Amino acid sequence: MIKLQNINKVYRTKTVETLALNNINLTIPAGEFLSIMGPSGCGKSTLLNIMGLIDEPSEGSIEIAGQTLPDYNAKSIAKFRNEKLGFIFQSFHLINDLSIIDNVELPLLYRRVGSKERKALAEEALIKVGLKNRMQHFPGQLSGGQKQRVAIARAIVGQPDIILADEPTGNLDSSMGNEIMDILLRLNQEQGTTIVMVTHDESMARKTNRLIRLFDGNQVQ
Amino acid sequence: MLKNYFKIAIKVMMRKKFFSFISLFGISFTLMILMVVTAFLDIELGSHAPLTQQDKMVFLDRLELKLMIPDTNMIIDSTRNNGTVTVDTSFSYSERQRSMSASSAGYYYLNKYMSNIEAAEDHCIYSDRHTVDVFINSNKLTLSSSYVSASFWNIFDFQLVEGNFFGPSAIDHQEKVAVITQKTAKEYFGVDRGVIGQEMILDDQHIKVVGIVKTPPSNQLFLGSGLFLPLTNIDPRWLTSEDFLGGFRATYLAASSAKRQAIKDEIKKKTALIQLPNPEQYNRINVVTASFLENYAEHLLNENDPAKSRSIFLYSLGGLLLLFFILPTLNLVNINVSRILERSSEIGLRKAFGANGNDILYQFIFENIILTFVGGIIGFLLASLLFFVINSSQVLPETVLSFNYQVFFYSFLICLFFGILSGLIPAYKMSKIHIVNALKQNSNG
Repeated sequence: MIKLQNINKVYRTKTVETLALNNINLTIPAGEFLSIMGPSGCGKSTLLNIMGLIDEPSEGSIEIAGQTLPDYNAKSIAKFRNEKLGFIFQSFHLINDLSIIDNVELPLLYRRVGSKERKALAEEALIKVGLKNRMQHFPGQLSGGQKQRVAIARAIVGQPDIILADEPTGNLDSSMGNEIMDILLRLNQEQGTTIVMVTHDESMARKTNRLIRLFDGNQVQ
Repeated sequence: MLKNYFKIAIKVMMRKKFFSFISLFGISFTLMILMVVTAFLDIELGSHAPLTQQDKMVFLDRLELKLMIPDTNMIIDSTRNNGTVTVDTSFSYSERQRSMSASSAGYYYLNKYMSNIEAAEDHCIYSDRHTVDVFINSNKLTLSSSYVSASFWNIFDFQLVEGNFFGPSAIDHQEKVAVITQKTAKEYFGVDRGVIGQEMILDDQHIKVVGIVKTPPSNQLFLGSGLFLPLTNIDPRWLTSEDFLGGFRATYLAASSAKRQAIKDEIKKKTALIQLPNPEQYNRINVVTASFLENYAEHLLNENDPAKSRSIFLYSLGGLLLLFFILPTLNLVNINVSRILERSSEIGLRKAFGANGNDILYQFIFENIILTFVGGIIGFLLASLLFFVINSSQVLPETVLSFNYQVFFYSFLICLFFGILSGLIPAYKMSKIHIVNALKQNSNG
């Protein structure tokens, strides 16, 4: 499903050159739930962003769902991201000015899905995360755990093959974290969605199929 | 998609109240000022009575008499070559102006030379404004009067409230009659109608009111007169003098605005053929003709060249209007930059979920269009309110400002253009932003 070959990422400023990822080779088969661990600044999020095509590697090739990227132009990559990938962020990134259902509809807007169908799909996704009765609320009215569930609904509404989660439980207490983890596990097991999750939490990582560790941009496990 | 953009545009507008107030104030205030300015311009320059035919009028407003004398220039050019000096002398002959007199034309010139302009369909002669003091119940009242030919009423379509205009017979028989404006009637008689047949005493003469006309809103030109008397009632010395200069103007009516130039040309040509009686005093005569707008600009700017005055007037007006548009636009650009920067996390998120650069660009442009529309509605209401206040308070007597929907529509389009432009630059910048960097900014939710 995801194949990374010889991925390097270098951040350059006028005076310093930082190697964020060093020759990463990784294959993630379809349906796998992979977690990435490592100390802060080791390159976990950078690797996830490269897999999510929201950042480019300095060197190396990426293959997702049989397509080699980034051979496409920016517009095609945006379309690819929209159809194949879903994102969950540590700080939720909900749009405060939109209601919960409007937030969840967001990926479908860029797929040019009609209004009625959008509403139906968003409602379905919110039911899956147990927030049907909160559809007309706004993000400011929800708890952290509820916000993250909205973010999951938004990530799955377009039925992507892959979900990339960047510390999805990082801002939550352990019981809320477990709730979120349960939803992700269910998605993986029941629907076969491939999930790549960056986490600092060893107990969460142990629940996944496979764990890799990064240290100073190198894969050490 | 648009519904989503609309929702967020309204939300952002409500959330950022200060920003929205500044933006809306800029747009609506600009529109309001433009509407008021154009309404005033419309009163001053629009084709309304008594100037309905203004685009066919040629004004003969000024005559210049000059004394030109020969002027000889001698240039001596010497060169020295191998001890030989060569002198080359050249002469150039021209004229220079020794003296000039300029003023409105004399009746003699207008009547004798300019009465038969073939390119014109009609013409009239009228005097410069005269002021006359009258006393009513020991109170002094200064009236402004013009002496006009009968055809004056054909060319300037004053709106008759009651009575009639005086005709050629009144001119021929020097009848002591007058047509007055409602304002003059009110000042003199205390009422603005019902005084036909009553007499006014002006300079010890008894003048009978035969007609009352609506007071023109503008004070320009002869329109400021409140009293119109037959041309022949003027002091006879004005009519018998053979002076070329002084005291009178003429207006010619062309069949169409395109034919005005033919009238101007004919007037110039006929004037050029005139033999001046005292060539040692003045040997050159020049007539200045102008369209209504040229004439207006010339008086307003106190200039002597009608075409130049018109250009200065129009360019200044255009410059001012542009300034009115540019200032709120710059204000909007400034606000939009900070407003859009604040939303970089939202932009990053939208891009992560599949929005491309154009989607982001369209979203912010759409938001600006919504903002401009709301500003337009407020501007419309403000302008209507201001018109109502000005018209009902009589701050400007005789002035009735009317809402020009066409001007509003075009002003709104221009606002929309600048509104879009002001959002385009920051939106374009943000549409190119790197997703990872955008997401790192202030996060939502």
